Order: sequence, then structure tokens, then C-alpha cells
Amino acid sequence: MRDVMVNRYPILFCVFYCVCLSVCLCATNVALAENSLNVVPESVRLDRPEVVQQLLVTQRTGANDLDVNRLCKFETTAPDIAEVSAEGRVVPKRDGEASIVVRYENKEVRVPVVVVGLSSPAPVSFRHEVLPILTKSGCSSGGCHGKAEGQNGFRLSIFGFDAVADHNALVKESRGRRISTASPRQSLLLRKATAVTPHGGGAKLEMDSPWYRRIERWIAEGARLDEDASQGVTAIEVYPKQVEMTPQGVQQLLVTAIGSDGARRCVTVEAEFESNAEAIATADRDGKIRVSRTPGEAAILVRYLGHVGVCRVTLPQYLETFQRPHEKNFIDGAVWEKLERLGIQPGRVTDDTTFLRRVYLDTIGALPKPEEVRRFMADSSPDKRARVIDHLLERPEYADFWAMKWADILRVDKAIVKPQGAVAMTRWLREQFRHNTPYDQFARKIVTAEGNTLAEGPASFFEVHKDPEMLGRSISQIFLGVRIECAQCHHHPYERWSQLDYYAFAGFFTGVQRKGAAPRGSKVYSRGGANLKHSQTGVEVPPAGLGAEPAKLDGVDDRREVLSQWMTSSENPFFARMIANRIWSHYFGRGLVEPIDDLRATNPATNEPLLEALAAHLIAQRFDLKAFTRSILNSNAYQLESSPNESNETDSQNFSHAAWKPMPAEVLLDAICQATGVPEQFNGWPEGYRAIQVWDNRMPSYFFRVFGRPQRVSVCECERGNEPSIAQTLHLMNSPESVRKIRHRDGLAARLAASDRSPAEIIEEFYLATLCRPPTASEQTLMQGAFQEPGLTRRAATEDILWALLNTREFVYNH
Amino acid sequence: MIKLNFNEHRCCDGITRRQALRVGATGLLGGLTLPELLHLEASAAGKTPPKAKACIFIMLEGGPSHIDMWDLKPNAPLEIRGPFQPISTKVPGTQIGHILPHCAKITDKFTIMRSHSHRDNAHQTGRHWVLTGYPPSFADGQAKGMPFNELYPSIGSIVSRELGPGGAVPPYVEMPNPLGPGGSGFYGAPYAPFTIETDPVQPDFEVRDLSLPRDIDDRRFHLRRRLLDGAERLGTRDLQTGRARTMSHYYEKAFDLVTSPAAKKAFRIQAESDKVRERYGLNSIGQCALLGRRLVEAGCRFVGIDHGSWDTHVDNFTSHEKALVPPTDQAFSALINDLDDRGMLDETLVVMMGEMGRTPKINTNAGRDHWSQCQTVIFAGGGVKRGAVIGASDRTASYPTTTPYGIQDLLRTVFHLMGIDADKTYHTPLGRPVPLVNGGAVIDELLA
Repeated sequence: MRDVMVNRYPILFCVFYCVCLSVCLCATNVALAENSLNVVPESVRLDRPEVVQQLLVTQRTGANDLDVNRLCKFETTAPDIAEVSAEGRVVPKRDGEASIVVRYENKEVRVPVVVVGLSSPAPVSFRHEVLPILTKSGCSSGGCHGKAEGQNGFRLSIFGFDAVADHNALVKESRGRRISTASPRQSLLLRKATAVTPHGGGAKLEMDSPWYRRIERWIAEGARLDEDASQGVTAIEVYPKQVEMTPQGVQQLLVTAIGSDGARRCVTVEAEFESNAEAIATADRDGKIRVSRTPGEAAILVRYLGHVGVCRVTLPQYLETFQRPHEKNFIDGAVWEKLERLGIQPGRVTDDTTFLRRVYLDTIGALPKPEEVRRFMADSSPDKRARVIDHLLERPEYADFWAMKWADILRVDKAIVKPQGAVAMTRWLREQFRHNTPYDQFARKIVTAEGNTLAEGPASFFEVHKDPEMLGRSISQIFLGVRIECAQCHHHPYERWSQLDYYAFAGFFTGVQRKGAAPRGSKVYSRGGANLKHSQTGVEVPPAGLGAEPAKLDGVDDRREVLSQWMTSSENPFFARMIANRIWSHYFGRGLVEPIDDLRATNPATNEPLLEALAAHLIAQRFDLKAFTRSILNSNAYQLESSPNESNETDSQNFSHAAWKPMPAEVLLDAICQATGVPEQFNGWPEGYRAIQVWDNRMPSYFFRVFGRPQRVSVCECERGNEPSIAQTLHLMNSPESVRKIRHRDGLAARLAASDRSPAEIIEEFYLATLCRPPTASEQTLMQGAFQEPGLTRRAATEDILWALLNTREFVYNH
Repeated sequence: MIKLNFNEHRCCDGITRRQALRVGATGLLGGLTLPELLHLEASAAGKTPPKAKACIFIMLEGGPSHIDMWDLKPNAPLEIRGPFQPISTKVPGTQIGHILPHCAKITDKFTIMRSHSHRDNAHQTGRHWVLTGYPPSFADGQAKGMPFNELYPSIGSIVSRELGPGGAVPPYVEMPNPLGPGGSGFYGAPYAPFTIETDPVQPDFEVRDLSLPRDIDDRRFHLRRRLLDGAERLGTRDLQTGRARTMSHYYEKAFDLVTSPAAKKAFRIQAESDKVRERYGLNSIGQCALLGRRLVEAGCRFVGIDHGSWDTHVDNFTSHEKALVPPTDQAFSALINDLDDRGMLDETLVVMMGEMGRTPKINTNAGRDHWSQCQTVIFAGGGVKRGAVIGASDRTASYPTTTPYGIQDLLRTVFHLMGIDADKTYHTPLGRPVPLVNGGAVIDELLA
């Protein structure tokens, strides 16, 4: 593959995290002595009037450098040369030398400051000094002037990605009234930004603040656009890159821009900050991180001029002794490792019946039947869990269930591909999972699908996703976990992807053609293809994988072949991680990366070594999904109990205890049918179908709607609603459909009521049928109350017990 | 972002809307996740009191004829003005069509805006504009599914999210059918409307899933609840976090809804006297308006009433005069009078509009075609001027001659009256910020 297309970032993620974990060399030498005070940067050089240098003071405490910035006193030795604020921000006044004296407790550090060239500074760069102000102030945000049609006639490019257009909008549009080079302070830009002239967005700049003065100077210098786009910022550095914090602690970040000339400039106040786990850590606009009391990890995304960086925050909690549970395989090792580091005690391994119910629902989308529960309880062999797992992976429902899941992802929509197309695609998917087609081959078959859209095969994917751009967006999100869609109109705000990457990726699909139409279906094939043009520059973009060199297409008939080879190569940095994360999320109720199809350096996994190991395992298994699933299901991490302990109850990202997962609508309906003994009669379908087999995504069903069955309008698994609602509870409680199943004359309640079984036996049967476990003694006592209720028939008592059990959370959830 | 291509039934193709809706009809009960609910309750305190606590939005689907109802042009040529005559009304100088005799008597209570204009001249896409304030991502006739605003939330979902429930009833109710683009878009299920799928004009009208099964009397229901509570207590310990906990709160809310006399009463339209029911009109729009009033009394925030089919390409005049306008005239005037008599009008905003107006020029089938460039919108209550006429159109009611007001201006005004910050922004799953209203300005001349 590499000879066809060389990967520019083959081990991007590994490199990224190695850098994170290593000591940050870029900022300064880190003080090591206990209690010593350390200031970053060690010295300050200020060469223009409007620059602000943030100082960061830390104190070594144990293994950590604690941020003591807000507790320090800052003082300048020469206020006429450089001033310092109480927050440790240094601003220049005139050329000369000064020192900032930093005092904390009885310690003192001096930071030398040199101010040069203030009288004749280099001209303000529009690209690198003005645009970031517009971005950070929110002027070019999607809610304001950055939206497609602008705001009140003034339009900026979103996130300031298009300097030329923005310069044009500011300087030339509207008859140039926004800028007055003769009288900069009278420019509409500054008057509006300070709300001197009424401004819908309010005051965004403070009068005479450094930013104000910088824009003023830029206007005074002629409001020019710096022609050479290559000059300027080449990278940003975030310090610290990794920090361990204490509950409710605060950490100031420092952001430094590295210029193409190697110059370093503090841009902390201009950079933007965003947390990926607000429950654990938040970051304010000054780059101050605040953590909560919930142990875990967060990534603070830092964005500046299209460059992104990240600071990983770890918040451990105090735990007296970590009891490391038994390790069944590498998964357990990685999970326990992380939990130990965070001071979170994992729960115990769950009991047999809970495990059985969970693994059935997760793997085949069905409850175990009472006889299956009994058999499992009676089995005393030590490997009985592993044997159940093996058995489930070979059941036909496994293929049905995963075909359903993938039909959602691939958008098998009857309305588009016609009923025959939907049936054909569903059948094809079932075959793939039944035969356990290796995932790389599975993906390749889809990406390079050919043939009739009504034939059993994946060709109808190209009926649903019609144009090259749509194909590019969907394929990259489904198989690579990259939401390249963001880069359709602008530079991806959280990643390095640009519009070039977008058109390069979509360019693989320009040869796709369809011949013929309904009712016979169309024939899909791909021959040749033209390169797409960048929507803004009009320049032709040669096809390339994400982060890869342009593909070699000489003599290539079907461009998609080249893509699929790059994509499914074991060197691909996204492919294995994406499917590993998707499958993990299915079984654990949460991805290692969330959202599960949004993999990027700025959205790291909560357990990066684990995701790496899972991806490597999958590759080592040659993308054998059943083998991979087997490893997950046999781990103790999967088999933990769902009840939290004192130490792990607030944890929801580190897999310290099993999650309560909502059942997919189809699975819940099947569970109700099985538990009540009354199958669902789907409108227009022959009897005997289970909901997970229903390929008709447009089937009108109140139950499906209310429990969030997806309509298959997007490739995002997030389309499946999983939030509870009152309508759901009302439906289970009162709906005629529920009533019918509970009361049905051939249903479980009627059969048990008519039998000669004792109340205790009936209650046990109900518990096994619904909760898949025998009742406890107190549950027996509770439920027997129904049989003793005066005036209530035996039939009514059985119905009421069944009703109550079907409405418990223990039934409705998978836990 | 989401491409849609599915031939849904259109108003113009001869299939009734009702049939079309039955295919994909749905009803979701709006509710909030618990943390959001608590958050809302907490943040609700300390705001300046809004003018309108609730909104009843009457959607005349298909596009009512502004030139025949509210904005007559008696001096225009015959092929434009049509056969209807303007009549004088309660407000001196204000004239409306003679087919609206009931409304004519109460023009002092509502405001007529004759200068609404937008550029989407089709049904599905136009409705998407009107109910969400955003351009649709599909071509007209290509929307699929119901609701079909897959990304952008509808006005009702926004109100539901921002104001939360005001009582025992759900905050956002649609009746008798889904509004089409009335869904919650990317806001998700918690803000979806509760759709009453049966028409309140039916004698055995009952809201789905809200009443106990017929043979379950109170005693048995209490036994069931005792068993359920016991089973929950004994079976699932330690459930203090996450979705499962939210679900148990929903159970409590569901029990409340089923057992709460207030909620039950609100939906029991049969409790109204025959006289009142007849005053509103024994037809769909009449009974929906009446039920809407009952729900607003019980704390509902947004009632969406769906009324069709105003797409009069053929026989515009007979349809308007005989079928469409009389029940609307009666229902609207009864609703306004009733709200006013009960002292509710000042805090209940009523909006009545379609997705478009109709062509000034009469076609060869005595019909009028689609015309979104000029429409009339009716506003009442909730902080809106009483008895005013806002804006004007040209000689043929083709274009506004005053400042045209777009849908964003309309929505912004509705939110302003309800105390909702129209600039508040939520992010789509892809992280794209979507303000409640994108642009527009509050229509000052509409405010009391």
C-alpha cells in the first residue's frame, strides 16, 4: 500500500501521546527540588507595543508542579518599562530592561524582561495579529458574523480561515466605511467593537486595551493584508501538555506561537480553549483550567489561527489501597492500570445471572429464556461464561443484530433503495456477520461495491450516498472516525483538516456511476474520474487519503480501490481504532472516544493505551470481529457489576463498573414479546419475525418512534435516540399494545394463571422471564401479596405482577 | 448536511394530508431530562417576567388566501380581486373579507400583519422555514419521515427547551396531527412534541397512553404501583446516577400525568359544556382551539394546531367560503374571546398563519397558486397590540409596500414576547453552533 500512497502520519497518535507523556522541554527546565518555585518563561522579550506575556508560576509538590499563579505577588522593578498585572501578565511600556519579581510564601524568583523596538515596531500582521482577535472576540463565530450570510451585512469567514475574504470585508466592502486610515479610532470596526456605535453584539473590545491598540495601529499603518501567507505562525505550544490536578484545583495554561522565523510569542490571551469533559474540567477564556471533584481525565483543546494543541488533565482521587482485580486478558490490565492511577476502585465481577442477561442482550439482542437461565445456573464448570460467549457468537441472532446495527450506519433506507434494495442489503449484511467476514474485507467490499442495487450486495450504499462529496463525508466518518464534513466549508475547527483534505478525499468517488433506475435497480460501477475543484480557489485537488500524500492513480481503473487499500492497511492510523472504539462502545455503553466517530488528537481516548492495544489486537487478529468480541466479552472489565461502590460512583468514563444501557427499541420490543410470550405482529409481515429482523426502516410504529429507532438519515450512531422520556414510560404502563401482551389469552400470564402452579412457582417463572434471575425471598413475599389481595382473581394477580416487572428499570435496561 | 430524497405526499397531488400523515405519524411526549429540568427551574427564577407564558400556533397548512381573507383589493381588476367583498369591522377603518364575519366583530382584539414575505414558495420547504426559521436541507417534495425537520428544531421544541413544563401537562403539544417540521431536530427526544393523534372532535376522544386500561380501576392501579415500587426497591439498589435514575423520575412524572387530576382534566375536552364546544365549532380546528386553551390553562407552553388543506389551486373561492374559512373564523374568534373573557389573552400569544399566501392572479381553474412573497399573519394576545393593522401590500397584494417581515423577524418576536433569548446558541452533534433564531429583528410595531 505504501508504494501506492505514502502515509504522512502513520503513527500520528503514538507520537502525539509520547510527546504528551514526556517532560515538556520546550518551555523551560523544570525545577525538581521539593517546594521550589518555577516560573515559565524564564525570561521575557517583548518587541511590540500590544503584546501580553502571561507568566506561569508553579511549585514542586511531591511529583507534581502545582499552579500557584493566583497566590503569587508580581512586581516590576521598572514600571515605566514593563508592567505586570496581579494575574502575572506582563505588558511593555518603553524600550529597556526590567525584572518581574515573583513572590510566593518566603520564596522569590526574578524574571528578566527586555523590551525592544517599541518606538518602531514591525507592522501589524492582519493574518497573524488581527484575525485572532476577531476570532477570540467571537466576531467570526458561527452565531455571528461568521455564519454563511453574515450578520447585518457584515460577513467574516468562520474561525477566520479565509484571511483574504475577511480583509476584503473589512477594508473594501460597504464602500470602505468600516476602516478609516486617516482617523483609525473613528473606524466603524473599532467603534462597533467597543459599542461606541450601537452594536448588536455588544462591546467586544475594551477601549485602549492591547487588542484595541493593535487594531488601531494596523489601521494607521494602512490596514494592509500581509501578502505572504507563508510567513507567520507555524505551530503552537501548549504548556503544560499534561497536568495532574487536585480536586477543585486551578491551572493556568500558557500558549506560545512559534513564528516561521523561529520567534516565540505568548498568545495565551488570543487562543481559544475548550474542554472535552466539562464534568471533570473546564477552561475559561483566559486559559485557566478548573477541575471538579469527579475523578477522571479531560482534554483541553487549544486553538489558535487554525493550529490546535491540547493539554491533558488528570484528576485522580485519594484511595487508600487499590485492590487490583484479577486480570483475564490485556483489556483488564489496561483498565485496572488506569483506574489505579485515578484512585478509582473497580467493582466486583457480577453474578452469573446478571452476566448472562447482559451478554445475551449485548451480543444477540435477546433475553435468555428461563430454561437457558436455569441451565446456566446449574452449570458448575469454571469456563461456563466463555462457553456461553462462544455459543452466542454462533447464533443466527448475532448476525441479525449486527446486520441491523450496520444497516443503520450504512443508511439502508427503504425510501431510497426500494424494498428490494433494503432486503438485499440486509441479507448481505447478515451473511457477512454470519460468516464473520474480516472487517477490512467488509469495508473494502462496501467502499468498492459494484453491481445492481437490488442484488444481494452493498451496491445500494452508492444509491443512498450519491455524490462524491457525500460519499467522502460518510466513508470518512463511518470507517475512519473523521468528521471531514466540517472541512467542506472551512478549516476543521478542531483538527488540521482543511478544505484541501476534504476535496482530496471526496475525489476518490468521482468515477462512481449508476446506470439504469427503478424498478430494476441501477448498476453501480466506478471508472476513472476527475479531480474535484476546491470550492474557493477553484484549484484542482488530486485525491489523497487523510493526512496522506496524493494517491498514485496511473493506470488505475477504479479510484476507490486505491482508497480502500490505503484505508484498510494496518498502517492506517484511523481504521482499526475506529472499529475498535465502535465495538467497545457497543458493549460498554460508552466509547473510549466520545462521540465514537470523532477521532482526533484533540479528542483523545479516556484510556489511550487501551485503545491502542485494542486496535493492535484487532490487526493481529486480522480483523476477525468475533475473535475481537470474544476478547472483550471474556474480560473481567466487561463482566463487572453495575452497582457502584463509594469510590467509583461518579466515574462514567473509565469503566470502573458496568453501565446501565438503554436497550435499542427493537431489542426492547423483542424482550417484551419474549417475556410475555406474545409475539409482535408487524403490519403486513408474516408472523414470527423479531423486531431486530425488520429491515423496513419506514415501518410505522409508535413503539419504534418513541423508543428512538433511527430513521437512517445519517451515518452517525447518535441518530438512535437513547434518552428516556415520559412518553416511553407512559407507553409501557398504559398503552393498548402493552395491555394486550400482558392479557393475551395465549400469553405467559394467562398460561401460568390457568396452570396448577403455586404462586411461588409463578412468581419465579415471571422473574426468570423478565429479569432473568430467580426472585429473592423478600421479592417472593412482595409479589405473593397480589395473590392474597381480596377480590382479585388469580388471573388478575398474575397480570399485575407481570405488569410490575415489565415496568421496572431492571427490565427496561441492560445492566 | 442530511440529504433527503423520498417522495412524500404533497398537498397538490390529490392525496389528503391525513393519509400522508398516517404513514409516518408519530407522537412523542416532550419532557426534559431531569438535570435540565432542575436547571431550568433554577434558572427560571430571577428573570424579568415575559409577556406571554404560552403560545397557541395555528398553522393553516397549504397556504390561506391573504387576498380573499385579510388583505382585500376591491379596486384591483376582477381577475385579481375575486368575488369577495371587504366589510367593515369593529375597528373603524379596518376592513377584512366578508367571509370572516366573526373575526370582523373582534378586530379590536387582534392584530393583522399584511407584510409577511419570504421566498420559499413550496409546501414542505416553506413549512420548514416557517416552523424552524432555517432553510431546509431538502428540495420540496423530497422530505421524508415525520417530523421532517431533521436538523433544526421547531419553534415548539425551542419553547419547550427554553421554558420547560409549566404544569402537569407536557410543555409542547401538537394536535390533531404532527406539524410536519414540528419536531425537535438535533435537540432530541426530550423536546419533541407530544402529538395527540386523535382528533378532539371525535366523541370518544382520548389521548393515547394517558388513561388507565379500562378494567384497571384505582384499587388495582394502586396494587400495581405498590408491586412496582416494591420490585424497584428490592431489585435495583444503588441507582443514584445516570439514565436509569432519570427514568425513575420519568416514572414518577408519568404516574403524575396518569393520576394527576389536573392533567387528566386538561385533556378531558368532554368536560366543556356543549354550549362552549359549539361556540368553538364542532369541527377539528374548533375543538383543537378549545383543547389548546385547556392545555394552556394547565401549563402547556406551546400548542401547535395543524389545520389543512388550504392549497386551493382549484376552486379557491368555493373552498374558502364554504369549507375552510367558516370553521377557522369561528374557532379563532371563539378562542380569542374565550381567552379574553378568562383574563388569559394578555399572557397567551396566538399566531395564525400558513406557509405561504396565494397568487393574486386567479388561475384558469378558479384557483389561486402559491405565493410566499406576500402573506398576512394574525397575532393576538401575549403582549401584542390589540386592534392594529401592521404593514401594507401593493395594489394587487403581491408585495409588501412597507418593510417586509421575514420569518426570522416573526420568530424573534414570538421569543421576545415569551422571554426567550433568541440569540442563545446550541451546538449540533457536529459542533456547529445554531442560534435559536439566525438574524432577524423584533417587530417593534407589533408590540403593545
